[in-house]
Amino acid sequence: MNLSKKPKLLIVMDVLAATLVIGALILILFFTPVEAVMGPVQKVFYFHVASAWAGMLSFILAAAAGAAYLITRRINWDWLSLSAVEVGLVFSLIAILSGMVWAQPIWNTWWVWDPRLTTTAIMELIYLAYFILRSGLDTPEAKARLGAVYAIVGVITVPLTFFSIRLFRTIHPVVIAPTDSGTAFNMSPRMLTAFITSLVVFTVLLADLVWNRYRLARLQAQNLEEAR
Amino acid sequence: MPEPHSDPARIVLAGLVKRYHNRPVLDHLSLSLEGGQFCILVGANGAGKTTLLRILATLTRPDEGEIQFFGEAWEPFPALREKIGYIGHKPMFYLDLTAAENLHHYARLYHCDDPSEQIQTALHAAGLQNDQHKPVRTFSRGMQQRLSIARALLHEPEILLFDEPYTGLDQPAAQTLDRRLRDLRSPKRIILMSAHRPQRLLTIATHIAWLQNGIISHHLPVAELHTAPALQDYLQETA
Amino acid sequence: MKGFTAYLRAIWHVIQKDIRVEWRGRQGVPVMLVFSLLIVFLFNFALQLSPDLQAGLSAGLLWVSLAFASTLGLNRSVSLERENNALDGLLLAPVDRSAIYFGKALSNFAFTFLVALILLPVFSLFYVQNMLKLPLILFILLGVGAYTSLGTLLATLSIQARTRDVLLPILLYPLALPILIAAVEGSRGALIGQPLAELQSWLFLLLASNILFHAAGLMFFETILEE
Repeated sequence: MNLSKKPKLLIVMDVLAATLVIGALILILFFTPVEAVMGPVQKVFYFHVASAWAGMLSFILAAAAGAAYLITRRINWDWLSLSAVEVGLVFSLIAILSGMVWAQPIWNTWWVWDPRLTTTAIMELIYLAYFILRSGLDTPEAKARLGAVYAIVGVITVPLTFFSIRLFRTIHPVVIAPTDSGTAFNMSPRMLTAFITSLVVFTVLLADLVWNRYRLARLQAQNLEEAR
Repeated sequence: MPEPHSDPARIVLAGLVKRYHNRPVLDHLSLSLEGGQFCILVGANGAGKTTLLRILATLTRPDEGEIQFFGEAWEPFPALREKIGYIGHKPMFYLDLTAAENLHHYARLYHCDDPSEQIQTALHAAGLQNDQHKPVRTFSRGMQQRLSIARALLHEPEILLFDEPYTGLDQPAAQTLDRRLRDLRSPKRIILMSAHRPQRLLTIATHIAWLQNGIISHHLPVAELHTAPALQDYLQETA
Repeated sequence: MKGFTAYLRAIWHVIQKDIRVEWRGRQGVPVMLVFSLLIVFLFNFALQLSPDLQAGLSAGLLWVSLAFASTLGLNRSVSLERENNALDGLLLAPVDRSAIYFGKALSNFAFTFLVALILLPVFSLFYVQNMLKLPLILFILLGVGAYTSLGTLLATLSIQARTRDVLLPILLYPLALPILIAAVEGSRGALIGQPLAELQSWLFLLLASNILFHAAGLMFFETILEE
């Protein structure tokens, strides 16, 4: 077992990410106004959108790292791609769950077939399929090569899915569907500050988690090497 | 379409690396083969013989290394593949199609517009002209093997790669293969053949190459085998 | 130019070979057809469908049965190449390997499209409405084209895995969702007689999917098959 020491910069980043998340939480809970129509539950919005953003960003990162693997054939890119997918899955799950928490009091139902929420759920399924694909492959090279292709083709379909569901929604309006006026509210300057802060904080958190997961992937590979 | 090369066939491999599970199976392997060589490739199971043959057949991509065919770099693949004939572990046929239909399919992929005459010659050489309209599913292992060789020769390749062609053949079929291989030798052609039990080939082949630890440790004419006692011992062991 | 004709020819040879194998073995189209009819019966009772089905439901039913049946055809088409390593034989051919992809994708397209054409009169019979309409056939053409181009790529990808028998639907369905939404909606509109101008968003979505997934096949097919 070769547990190389954790890089100092990564430790700094862990602490930074944790502090930022707590800071953003305090900012949202105590320093943003309560939205007039929706009430306190609207505060879910900040982390909900931020985690959806982080999820999407990591899937794009996974596809980009996959492309980098296919060009350079350096296995490190695959570790990055895999890490991004895993972290992205968690962020997307948080986005879906917080979306449900938000939807319940506002539309009186846990699930709405809203294009954004549905697309996020489909993305979750795409990247679960990604893991099922990898688990059926034997060599790390095949996992990396075919995983990269699937991550790239997968990310291509996400905008198609989003547009097709949105178009579908405009044709089949449902009573409880979130109309644009339902979710849109005018953000006060303090709300906007908290919103942008959340986006930044979650991006830092994403970078920190992906880095940690990448390090884990490297250690795993080294460990396997030594076990041989 | 590039002009067919007039130089005798020549393969140069330098620093070839192929990794599985991040471990090199081929580890900076180098080898050069000249036209007229019939080289047996020996080595233990899992030494990388199949990997090496598949790389030469352009079916597997090496991780590192340089390959030259006929003094030219390895790319682009499509034109190069016209010069390569490959006979792998499995016969590569569609079992529901007849022998003639299978050959027809392959001949046309190699740009033969009216291949019927070529196919008849090939079937005749393989001794299968009476069975040509039977589905390949009904063929014995030996018949499939002969058809396989006929397929690989359709486009008259200058480089012939065989992967363990004797596996699963009974005695008469193996003797037929011996004769066929003698006929295939030509000053313009390179033949590289992996063989688990190489003894019977020592009278047919011109050279022998030993693949171990990811490299070709020995490559010499069969006539000079006495200069490499380690290889001689190895051949004794596998006998 | 000569290289390009050789390329087109290679595509045609692969298609011809697939048609010949299908004709001999009859293991693709009949299997797809029977399977899609079974799905129609299952859904008919599971969803308690009435003979005077709404256009939306019959379009949906048509596409669900086609999508499921096509998965069988796609799996069959690539396992045919796996058997006896016939795929190696194709990869040895002196043509760019994307030609093999296009050949396989087009023959898969032809077989699934044929199944759809047989299903249309059957649906007309079962659900008392004329489904042999040109705009509907246009949507089937585009929908099946996009679906089989993506499906051929992913089927080739999934045979590399140990879990190949179960993998294709899991890989294919989440990615094919936009194709199916557009195909169902376009077909529904065509069935109730909406003019094509009103359905052009779906037409564009399907056209875009066709271009995108064929391009993906062109780019990644060789990468998928190299070891």
